[in-house]
Amino acid sequence: MANKRSMNMKLLNARLTSKLSIVLFGLVLVFSAEAQSGPSRGGGGDPMGGIDLPPGFLEQNKDYKFPDDITKYTATDFLMLVRRTDIRSSFYNSDMSATISMVTVSPDRGTKTFKQQIFRRDKDDAFLMITLEPESRKGQGMLRVDNNMWRYDPTSRKFTHTTIKDTYENSTVTNNDFRRWQRSIDYSVEKISSGTLGNYNVIIGELKANNDEVPFPYIKMYIEADRKIVLKVEEYSLSMKLLRTAYYTQYVQIGDSFVPTVQIFQDGLIPEKRSQTTYTNISTKPLPDYYFTKEYLERVSQ
Amino acid sequence: MRLIHLKLAARNVRRQPHRTIALGGAVAFSALVMALILGFVNGMDLAIQNNVTLYSGGHVLVSGYTASQSGRLQNRFTDDTVVKIVESTKADILTVSPIAQSRATVVFGTREIQLMLRGVDWSRDQLYHESLILTEGDWKGLEDSRTMLMSGQTAERFGLAAGDRVIVRLSTASGQQNVTDYKVAAIYDDRAAGGMNTAFVAFGDLAADLNMKSNEQQQIAVFLNNSAAAEEAAQAIAAGLSAQGFAVSRGSASNDGALGAATPQDASIIPDAFQATGGTQGGANRRLAPGTAVYRISTVQELAGEIGAALGSIRWIGYAVFALMLLGSATGISNSYHMVLLERTKEIGMLRCIGYKKKDIFSSFVWEGILLAGGAALVGIVLALPIGFGIGLIPFDPHGDFGAALVQGHLRFAPTLGQFLLILVFVTTVAIAAVFVPARRAADVVPVEALRKTA
Repeated sequence: MANKRSMNMKLLNARLTSKLSIVLFGLVLVFSAEAQSGPSRGGGGDPMGGIDLPPGFLEQNKDYKFPDDITKYTATDFLMLVRRTDIRSSFYNSDMSATISMVTVSPDRGTKTFKQQIFRRDKDDAFLMITLEPESRKGQGMLRVDNNMWRYDPTSRKFTHTTIKDTYENSTVTNNDFRRWQRSIDYSVEKISSGTLGNYNVIIGELKANNDEVPFPYIKMYIEADRKIVLKVEEYSLSMKLLRTAYYTQYVQIGDSFVPTVQIFQDGLIPEKRSQTTYTNISTKPLPDYYFTKEYLERVSQ
Repeated sequence: MRLIHLKLAARNVRRQPHRTIALGGAVAFSALVMALILGFVNGMDLAIQNNVTLYSGGHVLVSGYTASQSGRLQNRFTDDTVVKIVESTKADILTVSPIAQSRATVVFGTREIQLMLRGVDWSRDQLYHESLILTEGDWKGLEDSRTMLMSGQTAERFGLAAGDRVIVRLSTASGQQNVTDYKVAAIYDDRAAGGMNTAFVAFGDLAADLNMKSNEQQQIAVFLNNSAAAEEAAQAIAAGLSAQGFAVSRGSASNDGALGAATPQDASIIPDAFQATGGTQGGANRRLAPGTAVYRISTVQELAGEIGAALGSIRWIGYAVFALMLLGSATGISNSYHMVLLERTKEIGMLRCIGYKKKDIFSSFVWEGILLAGGAALVGIVLALPIGFGIGLIPFDPHGDFGAALVQGHLRFAPTLGQFLLILVFVTTVAIAAVFVPARRAADVVPVEALRKTA
């Protein structure tokens, strides 16, 4: 009798084990299929761990009521205006790709031209940039993902770590210029005034970095009040010497975004040294997640 | 050994001067080449170590890194205990001085150049005062605030002279951009410093430019009485710091010390224990809890490692050339002694008839080989001395690929007695091996048979 009960128990255990195995096998199949289905299509994927935006960064600014008179702007108004320009120059609801033409002029190195293809995912603060021209630099790439920034050289097939603070090809352009704007996160307003810049009425704000890891400790922004776009930014050193002036001379509206398509960067110490970047073929089509990986950069650079 | 063997061997060596000169010349040339290679490689090794000491500022470097609020490592630390521990280490320390450094862009007019800017406490410095040759200005001028000691190379490129002012653009310890200016107080001969183009300023001035607090430091440079003791001193310092609970890692990174300031993202400086527990993200972006300090200790030998690796190749090429030459000489010696055996068969028979034993004949042959090769090697080594020192007078480009291996733009010939003895032993051993077979055959000659054949 006892033997029979024991046999029954063993049978029950075996059945349970087999059922559990089937369930586990099913789960394994489901996860394997998921894993092999490739990355989710652009924009809709989970954030890739970039710099998180402050809570309410996008929402709070949406319905913010700015003063009609530019002389009545307060520091808070101006910071919200900076935030508006940050949001509008970036693509938080889609990915972005474009071709960048760059001309750099330097008294030492003469004039050089470059052409790059850029892929940006602003919500993750990620971008991939591949050099198309000149031939000698073709295939060189730069990848920013997960707060890391890498430079890839197809000749040596090596990745080297770089930072957003580094200059691009010894020009007046920094790696930070290819990234989304986030001045309203990095800076706080010290002083505001109003004035004109060419034919435009502008609000001038003097901003100070919130922490000591921002490359430029002080900046001065000239924002056109009507269109709420940045026209000029002066960047100062810790000793308050002018290091660089950025001019955003042309904008293109794409959906809700205002993209500065022509950007001129003039060195503050050597005024003859300047660069111009021009964005063309701007697209907001979704990009696959694997675009923002070292493997893809390595593959596409060959 | 009997004296008669040596006398016989010496007489035989002198008997055919042409052959002796031909054979000995080949051996002497091998020894000469090897002596030159070893002497120059040795000299370059020493020159690299001396120049790297100049580049890095000391024989042992203790670099401190502190995690910022965002967890990124910044090259600065505040703990005075570290300096005290280093100073109290039982090593043959000459000076312990703070060093600050930054890769900076120096601007003069519309021209700019990127170079390493090093802050030195001039009041405690011995290294640079003793090593650098000033071509313009003087050391006294460098005691003034915001003055710079610039390399001749940079000054020439800019058309600068002592008294000119330059603008310096650099990143602070936290990575912010800063611009300051300096007056060029003196210019040093970079050819005398391995082509180094580092610019030097007062430690306090650079620390201020780097936005460091008065109690903050980047590196401690330890200058020893004997650079060869650097590894021992580094181990003692590492042990002392570890015992006090400091997180210490050893070794140099490619972008540290002499070769540039470590970037805050350089994960290799984080000790293993921290890598296992403190990291919040992988790869180069490893973060530590704000305020956490880690230290890295490197020696001049480690810093010289990369440049020194090239010397290793030269040394091995030298060994290969030496081996080939020895092989050629050994073949020549062996063939010649086979000829000698044929020529002296009658003589050997006679010697055997008057009482010479087999081992006497064997010994005289071997001693002849030893005398010939050993004497030739000695001549080669002696000749290497004037040639080596003569080559040392030829000026080379100190800014070229091997600039760091030069002393004041010249190759240094620094052979050691040990190396000479080694060459002598090698050559003699090879000569014995080469003579061995003909000597055995000579010893085996049957006297009667020899006399009959040559009668």
